[in-house]
Amino acid sequence: MNVLGPSLAPYIRSSRTLKKYVTPIAHWYADLMGYRKMGLKYDDLQVEESPQVQRALGRLTPRETYDRSFRFKIASDCDLHHKPLPKEQWSKPEDDKRYLQPHILNVLKEEEERFTWDTMTVQRK
Amino acid sequence: MLARRASAFARSFATVVDNAGVKVAAIDNGQPTTAVTFLVKAGSRYEPKPGVAHTLKNFAFKSTAKRSALGTVRESELYGGVLSASLSREYLALTSEFLRGDESFFVDLMSSFLTSSKFQRHEFQEYVLPVVAAESTSASQNPATYALELAHSLAFRSGLGSSLFASPHSHVSLDDVKEFAARAFSKGNIAVLGTGIDSAALTQLVEKALAGVSVGNAVAESKPSTYFGGETRVESHGGPQTVFIGFGAAGPMDPALAILSAHLSPQPSVKWSQGLSPISAAIPQGTSVQSVLMPYSDATLFGLLVQGSSAEGVKEAAKVATKALKESTGLKGDALKTAVAKAKFTAASSLDGRDGIFGALSTKVFANSDASIEATLASIDKVDAAAFSKSVAAITKAKPTFVAIGSVQALPFADEVGL
Repeated sequence: MNVLGPSLAPYIRSSRTLKKYVTPIAHWYADLMGYRKMGLKYDDLQVEESPQVQRALGRLTPRETYDRSFRFKIASDCDLHHKPLPKEQWSKPEDDKRYLQPHILNVLKEEEERFTWDTMTVQRK
Repeated sequence: MLARRASAFARSFATVVDNAGVKVAAIDNGQPTTAVTFLVKAGSRYEPKPGVAHTLKNFAFKSTAKRSALGTVRESELYGGVLSASLSREYLALTSEFLRGDESFFVDLMSSFLTSSKFQRHEFQEYVLPVVAAESTSASQNPATYALELAHSLAFRSGLGSSLFASPHSHVSLDDVKEFAARAFSKGNIAVLGTGIDSAALTQLVEKALAGVSVGNAVAESKPSTYFGGETRVESHGGPQTVFIGFGAAGPMDPALAILSAHLSPQPSVKWSQGLSPISAAIPQGTSVQSVLMPYSDATLFGLLVQGSSAEGVKEAAKVATKALKESTGLKGDALKTAVAKAKFTAASSLDGRDGIFGALSTKVFANSDASIEATLASIDKVDAAAFSKSVAAITKAKPTFVAIGSVQALPFADEVGL
């Protein structure tokens, strides 16, 4: 179990029919979750209390970091009011890209590579 | 003995221009380790903005498409290889030294930096920038290094005058580095030197490794160098008082300068002795003088670096050094013969070590000339008293380059020293 959690997405994407039928359900579910009504993106929900995600957060550009902090501020404000944002301020589905997931995957890959190098046995041919 | 080594060098050296312009030169003297250097025309002379070449040099051996930074280091450690990158004013040199038999891995490793380096943002922030800052700081705090940087900037202004080190004032971005790398890493700008490896084997490996590199469409352009000269003083504390007295000339190196450097150099041939230099007899206690000769492809800087613990001692020593330099126009007879012999020995013995061999090859390989130690020694031999006197007079007539670092209110000015 890694910080990104379990996911059937790779399996679904690998099959063309499954992808065709499951994608609209996935979009509907993401809308239903309600985070867009608070101006957030999906990767803002990512659990950040782990060393891997902290390393990945360090790889965001300064602009991305600022925008993320700004969205958190807006969402906290929403929570105080116990009300979602007005409709114009909801985050748009086309802008809702996974900006943090590639960095997390790279960090996980690098950690695995380091573990492999640390624990391999070497034989000279 | 020298003749035998010289002929072996000439015999096993081969310059091959491979099918698209990467020059390869290799010498095999049967040593158990091999060293391969990729020489790229990406020295500080060619950088578009200050500090870019220094930053690019520190990006060497970081992540490429083939292996990550960690993988590069771990795998080469397993092979027992030593990786290094160095920057000179004209070239960026990537060197790896390893046991014979591992050349395919290391040539592939270095060429993957030239063809597919990723230049990742987080590696730039976390690995490269701190090292660049540390190297720049340590260079600016070493008065001798700092004096030479200032001397080059006074002597040549742009091009060769660009500093080898990034400065904290110039902000280098990742895009600057990527652009510079894209322009510099083309086949016309790359040469590969090897020791302990056969020339044909190296050529084959290089052809395979650099197959994807763009053919020299952007050969590094740099205006031909001109010598200007000038004077500068920098307040500093915590290091020896330093004065650099330099002269330069445009054009390929005059062998007379090698003889002049050998004549003036206070470095004794017998340890603990004073040596025969006219300088070492007369400088005060606690001061030291070094002769500095820096030949480049189209200019030369020659000078004397005077250092000492007190400014008065350095002023005295600088006067002695300048006097000896001006008086050496009259060098003839046995004294000239001594200097010529010393210069020839310095040139020949530099080929003892790997660094010397690569240094000698790098100057010749891009110029496509036939590298032969005999030619260098013959050119030094040919200089007679009249030619020597003419060369020295010509160089001292030009505007001197004078740098003073330390307590500037006590250190001398150029005219106080006799220039």
